[in-house]
Amino acid sequence: MIEAANLTRIFSNGHSEVRAVDNVHLEVNRGEFSMILGRSGSGKSTLLGMLAGLIRPTSGTVRIKGTDIGSLSDNLISEIRAREIGFVFQFSGLLPTLTVLDNLMLPALFYPGKTDVRTRALGLLDRVGLSDRANAYPGTLSSGEMKRVAIARALSNGPALLIADEPTGDLDVDTEYEIMELFRQLNVEGMTIVMVTHNPDLVRYATRIYGMEKGRLAEGFHSVHTGHGPMEPLR
Amino acid sequence: MKGDQIRMKQKMNYLTYIIAGIRKKPGRNLATIFCFAFIAASIFSGQFLMAGAARSVDQGLSRTGADIAVVPTRYLIHLGAAGPDNTMAIVRVEPTPYRIPLTTMDTIRTVAGVTAASPQLYVSTLDLPEIAPMPIDIYGIDPETDFAIQPWLQAPLKAPLGPGEVIVGNSIPGKVSSTLPIAGYEYTIVGKLDPTQSGIDHTLFFRMEDASTLASTDGVVPPGSPRINPGEINAVLLRIGPEPDWFRTSGTLDFKPSYPGFIKDVIRKQFEPTYVTAIGHHYAITPMSEEITGIPDFLSIISGIVVVAAFPLIALIAAMVAHERQHEIGLLRALGAKRRIIALLVISEASFLALIGGILGVTASVLAFGLMNPSGVLAPALQVSFRMPGWTEAGVIAVLAVLIVLAIGSIASLYPAYQSSRMNPYEAIQRAGN
Repeated sequence: MIEAANLTRIFSNGHSEVRAVDNVHLEVNRGEFSMILGRSGSGKSTLLGMLAGLIRPTSGTVRIKGTDIGSLSDNLISEIRAREIGFVFQFSGLLPTLTVLDNLMLPALFYPGKTDVRTRALGLLDRVGLSDRANAYPGTLSSGEMKRVAIARALSNGPALLIADEPTGDLDVDTEYEIMELFRQLNVEGMTIVMVTHNPDLVRYATRIYGMEKGRLAEGFHSVHTGHGPMEPLR
Repeated sequence: MKGDQIRMKQKMNYLTYIIAGIRKKPGRNLATIFCFAFIAASIFSGQFLMAGAARSVDQGLSRTGADIAVVPTRYLIHLGAAGPDNTMAIVRVEPTPYRIPLTTMDTIRTVAGVTAASPQLYVSTLDLPEIAPMPIDIYGIDPETDFAIQPWLQAPLKAPLGPGEVIVGNSIPGKVSSTLPIAGYEYTIVGKLDPTQSGIDHTLFFRMEDASTLASTDGVVPPGSPRINPGEINAVLLRIGPEPDWFRTSGTLDFKPSYPGFIKDVIRKQFEPTYVTAIGHHYAITPMSEEITGIPDFLSIISGIVVVAAFPLIALIAAMVAHERQHEIGLLRALGAKRRIIALLVISEASFLALIGGILGVTASVLAFGLMNPSGVLAPALQVSFRMPGWTEAGVIAVLAVLIVLAIGSIASLYPAYQSSRMNPYEAIQRAGN
């Protein structure tokens, strides 16, 4: 599904350089739930940005379904994002002056030719248990509801890959559980997910776990979906 | 619940997104709309006033009458102190019994520099208390060549003055389309003149044929007055063209006459001096009109400067909006929006605000002019004669004002749009997350 090879990103402020991502190799297969665990500033968000084509790597390649996105124009990368990738951020990213339904239909603006937009959006709202809030504005939703709407929006164009950047970072424990259960269900249904988090408690939801520190990635844990079972270290 | 019923919108569209963006910051966007409205109102009002002033100037110039009047020499007696070089406007020759043949016009028309010639015939002055309390002058004009009387009409004639029709001075009672009985004939009033504070206000103007008919009707011309023979007129009013180059460059003598004076002398020489002479203004209208009509050009330059000065302000607002919404733009890019879509959204939002502001500004201006003009506030406030431009002209100015404001909004947002489209999306998203 997605492959990163020798991926490096160096940020320079003119005086010094920071290797945010340092020679990372990563392979995410279809149907996997890959979780990247790391502290703040470890480079995990930069890695996600490069996987999604939002950040150009200093060196290395990213392939999505076999296509090297580094060789594509910005327009083509945008098209791939619109079709193949759904994003969930730590903040909900919902537009407060659009209704929930309009927020869900927003990504279709950037996917010309997409049909049944409304039907799909309503179906997704039903899927996340918010079908009765279609005409509500985000300001009237709880943080958990907003996050569920954000997940539904990420799925609205029918992507093959869901990228989540600290999606539960600002949630209480109960809501975090609710959202992670939703991710787990989606993964069980076949959705490929790449998620970064600093919360080690969440690794039990992943099928493949990576640790990241100072820009370097290491595959360190492995877990399977056997309920909420404890994570099992690979080595 | 009814409020939760899902609207039947099948797809999200850009307009919904743009309006949602505007609703996000209602105060700031209202201020922006007000700014656009102010610019539109300034452009519209400026152009509207210029058009109105130009109409007034055109009307004023068209109402200045003749440059020269060719009259019987004995007519000079009636001018008294004004003399042959009077400064009064020659719109209607004075009512005198002295006449010249209509064929005089054929000679005058051959004089170089004469651009228009029109005859006038004074028939009589009648006391008609059933029509008006003051004596009424009866004149004949040639509607096809007349350039002195008809510019004073309150409203243009629907068709050239025809047989059985009359144009009346401002003091004559009776509305347009009503009938006027004169010496046993019924005439239809087809036009009324604006007030002139002169004898014209109590004058009836007929076609030459109708005037001749009245002249031959018993009781119209007083018994003691000379009979009006067919083919006789009282005067030929003349307009002369602009001063030609050859005249401007010829001679440097101190006593070099003005161009109208020169033409007047040429005409005088065509006739027996004791029989026909020419009188005129001591100034020429054309150079004055050129100066006055240059004023709108000057005002247009000032309007242009105002428009150019508006650009940085609008560009600043657009840049502010783009900066404030960095995270949203980053989000849209993450959702798959291409750079050009981002640029178009920024430009569209500014254009949309400009369009609303433009329409509001023009509407407010139209309402203000509509309220001020009929109540008589406008002309005294401007301290100039002002004639409202027609609907078509006002419509063109309104559309122009809205288009200019739209252009200002679009062009001023180009650079912020470019900057937004080039923004690093992930940085923008991260910045919002922090």
